[in-house]
Amino acid sequence: MSTGAIAQQGFGARGFALPPNTGKIVRAVLTYAVLILFALAMIMPFVFAVVNSFKELPDIAANPMRLTPGVRADGTPYSWTLQGYERALTTQQINFPRAIFNSFFIAILVTIMRVLFNSLAGYALARIRFPGRGFAFAALVGTLMVPGIVLLIPRYLVLSQLGWIDTYWALLIPYFADAFGIFLMKQFFESIPREIEEAAEIDGASRFRMFFVIILPMAVPALTAMAIFAFQGTWNDFQGPLIALNLNRDLYTLPLALAFLRGVTGDAIQWDLMLAGSVITTLPMAVIFFIFQRFFIEGVSYTGVKG
Amino acid sequence: MAVAAPSLGNQGGFRLSAKAQERLAGFTFILPALIIIIAFIFLPLLSAFLISFTNWNGLQPPTEAAGVGLANYARIFGLDGTTVVRDEFFVAIKNTFYYTLGVVPTQTILALVLAFIVNQQFLRFRGFFRVAFYFPSITSSIVIATIFLWLFNRNGVINGVIGGVANFLGLQYTPVTWINDANGIIHNFLRLFGLTARTAPAWMTETNVLGQTIWQWISGPSVTMLAIMLLAIWTTTGTMMLIFLAALQDIPRQLYEAASVDGATRWQQFRLITVPMLRPTTFFVLTIGLIGCFQVFDQIYVISQGNPAGTTKTIAWIVFRNLRDSQAGLGAALAFVLFVIIAIFTIFQRRLVGKTVQQ
Amino acid sequence: MNKTFRFLAFAIAIALIAVAAVPSAQAAQTVNLVLMGWSSSPSENERLQKIVDDWNAANPDIQVTLNQVPDYDTTLQKSLAGGEPPDVFYVDSFRFLDLVRADALMPIGDKLTDIEDFYPALRNAFTANGQFYCPPKDFSTLALQINTEMFEAAGLSAPTTWEEMRAAAEKLTKDGVYGVVVPADFARWIAFLYGAGGSVTDDEFTKMTINSPEAAEALKFYTDLYIDGFAKTPADLGVGWAGEAFGKGLVAMAFEGNWIEPYLKDQFPDLKHKAVELPAGPAGKATMAFTVCYAVPMKAKNPDAAIKFVDYLTGAQGMKAWTDLGLAMPTRASLRQGWLEKFPNLEPYLNGAEYARKWQFVPGFQAVLDKVNEQLSLVMSENQTVSGALAEIERVGNEVLASR
Repeated sequence: MSTGAIAQQGFGARGFALPPNTGKIVRAVLTYAVLILFALAMIMPFVFAVVNSFKELPDIAANPMRLTPGVRADGTPYSWTLQGYERALTTQQINFPRAIFNSFFIAILVTIMRVLFNSLAGYALARIRFPGRGFAFAALVGTLMVPGIVLLIPRYLVLSQLGWIDTYWALLIPYFADAFGIFLMKQFFESIPREIEEAAEIDGASRFRMFFVIILPMAVPALTAMAIFAFQGTWNDFQGPLIALNLNRDLYTLPLALAFLRGVTGDAIQWDLMLAGSVITTLPMAVIFFIFQRFFIEGVSYTGVKG
Repeated sequence: MAVAAPSLGNQGGFRLSAKAQERLAGFTFILPALIIIIAFIFLPLLSAFLISFTNWNGLQPPTEAAGVGLANYARIFGLDGTTVVRDEFFVAIKNTFYYTLGVVPTQTILALVLAFIVNQQFLRFRGFFRVAFYFPSITSSIVIATIFLWLFNRNGVINGVIGGVANFLGLQYTPVTWINDANGIIHNFLRLFGLTARTAPAWMTETNVLGQTIWQWISGPSVTMLAIMLLAIWTTTGTMMLIFLAALQDIPRQLYEAASVDGATRWQQFRLITVPMLRPTTFFVLTIGLIGCFQVFDQIYVISQGNPAGTTKTIAWIVFRNLRDSQAGLGAALAFVLFVIIAIFTIFQRRLVGKTVQQ
Repeated sequence: MNKTFRFLAFAIAIALIAVAAVPSAQAAQTVNLVLMGWSSSPSENERLQKIVDDWNAANPDIQVTLNQVPDYDTTLQKSLAGGEPPDVFYVDSFRFLDLVRADALMPIGDKLTDIEDFYPALRNAFTANGQFYCPPKDFSTLALQINTEMFEAAGLSAPTTWEEMRAAAEKLTKDGVYGVVVPADFARWIAFLYGAGGSVTDDEFTKMTINSPEAAEALKFYTDLYIDGFAKTPADLGVGWAGEAFGKGLVAMAFEGNWIEPYLKDQFPDLKHKAVELPAGPAGKATMAFTVCYAVPMKAKNPDAAIKFVDYLTGAQGMKAWTDLGLAMPTRASLRQGWLEKFPNLEPYLNGAEYARKWQFVPGFQAVLDKVNEQLSLVMSENQTVSGALAEIERVGNEVLASR
């Protein structure tokens, strides 16, 4: 099944008693069946979650499978409701509207700065000769293997030394560069033909100008990939804010807000609230994904080819 | 060649040599990223490393902790004669190992197969399928874990779907308590053949290796862990499929055309063109899959907290537990052991995949 | 060309300095305190907020912010490690000794009003090295909840012994309802351990005493309810905790603390139920007392203000306002009568206080707690024997006790 054209040839050559098209049709049907099954498996959990988030609490518990409101034991029907959302958005302990703002603010700023810093560093590692370059690169690759959990407490100590706990700084600055992104950019810049820079150099362009005027515009696909990852990673990050924030709930990002929401209801999880919170947390990212889906898909594809 | 050529316009004033300029440029370019990585990765890493040699309890500033040398590491491997920490560590190794063994091959093979299917030329709606498969990957682990906790509830959707299918086939289905079932799936399988802890031979139930009997070692992941594994596979397969798909589309069509002109069969083409061309991508996917699995934490945190009966305790989870429960020095030491394990596996895997490339 | 470089370097340097130098100072006029706790039920959260609001209105010079954080243990631990703990925070009796050993708590007992009024057992739970560290904010004991409707329909009366409880559980297990909900949780099973006359360790915490015939009887009784099919765990029933299973009518009995009462009233107002004392075991009645104190950290920035606030919270007036919710019981003997008049149906919980044991061991005992929970779960799923479980708990416990 490596490629369509060859595969079709292979099937067509076989001389069964069946009509010549049967193989093709069977294969198409099988293909679509498998794909649709998997697509359903990927999408249905969200569909169930979204639909149930608009149902009444007892209805969620009794009829989670129904995609419309169910019927009570006494025969009266349940109805659609926004109660879960109302409670999630108005609960005293957690400021969801503010968390939405925080998530956007932090993700956007981190994305911009990370793209800038990573590409600068990646370019230096790829093309500029300076002492310690080899060491810096080896050290970077080493950090890729560090389990995030190792850094939990020590990073808190560093942030508290800086006085950044419970401030935006702690949610921003540490994320302005990351080893994976630098690695990605280095790989990319190494794939650009040297001749382009050499020509620019003859014209007397400085490294700085060369980078911003000539190299960076060529790097748009790599930058897009990195921007997508930076945004997505920051938006969904849980451990980062968990470390950086302690008592200032005004700075909670959405994942933290959702984790906190569970605490609000105590041991008995109230699923209307939790599902509504999950939808609120996912919705902005989903909208962005559907608008920029091409870039997401290209971005992910890009890492595989270059990694 | 032209690197050393002096530029023409030397308009007076102080001027660095070309080499010094180059160095300065290098430092300047890398400085912002370097400062951040040093301050927020290396410095914490270094302090975690130092902490791993202390008895720090995490309830006071670490400067007040006392050094204990290698005692934390000795406890992890039971070299000091104690067993509590060692046993928990090896339970975590076992759980993490089963988790990885279940997740990494499954998600890689599934992703590869899906990529082949989506790559077929006649396929329509390719864009839709790509988007559908990738969608779970954009969602926060906390959201996914929350939704899965709900889906896997005993009265939840998963049991409902399985029950519905079983009913349709005329079978009886007793709902599984997914999030609280400590039975290992290999044990469950062996039970079908009448082999249980009571009927297993004595050498299995009485030989104790590193705190667990052989019978316990071969338990397989618990049912709860299986649910978490399904979650992980569900989340990451889409991303990996896209990566494979891009690699497949990157293989020059001419290669296949040339091969088919030379009379190569489809299987030969697959073996001699597709497989080698996909090798670097496969290595990449395996490596990120492996590193991700060894670090699994967020899902455990939301869904099971190491329960039931410790069957979802992973290495990252016990690191966290020790940090939180007044044994931060020990937690830091565990974290470094995890770091070394990941490094060894990555290097080993690189060797392995690298070797097959040579053949 | 170097200008651009110099500018870039300069700009980055300035940015870093600016970021590092963000002022964190605050006006010194009023003292601002943070009270950190965990959050349980919405009604509890609202009540505490109201008490804090009332304080703030009456004390313009000491303004308190209530902060109920999600992952409490981690948050507290981070705050202490960073050297900037909150001004007042909850400490559970189980965690208390860990914190004392780390020198994290300020002993404020002798600066409070009328400490003799606190029940001695509860004061004792927060006393270490001869010092009373922090006043208990409230306490709860375990009692048995019974679904009166189910009991009446079956012609049963409330069980007073283990045998009666098992018989009732057997009889009430029908039509998809189970007799009782049994969490695989040491904090519940331990009441049965004590009821059988067993113990966890010796009095000086030098060695484990849990591998005893009494403990075996308790473990067998508890897990047999499950194995024989008269009981389920909360997860088996698809709920978050025992109270939810009871409220939804999935079980006829549950043993929980008095925190279950406002929860049931709130969520299941139509449920007919009542609390009775836990059935007596072979060695008589037993229950557990869970208590939490308001602690002030050793490194408090404003110790005087914090102590004043804690004194209000745990003083006669503040505690009355808090315990009038019926969620937990007052720790002051002087409030006992008034509380009982308000909540006569909660008397079994208060009676339990007479013979309740405290939920407290030694630092590092968390590992043993985990082990017991694990073994409970294994015995219930028939992957472990009763004697094997106790031997394993004993082994781990002795090692923990020896290494401290």
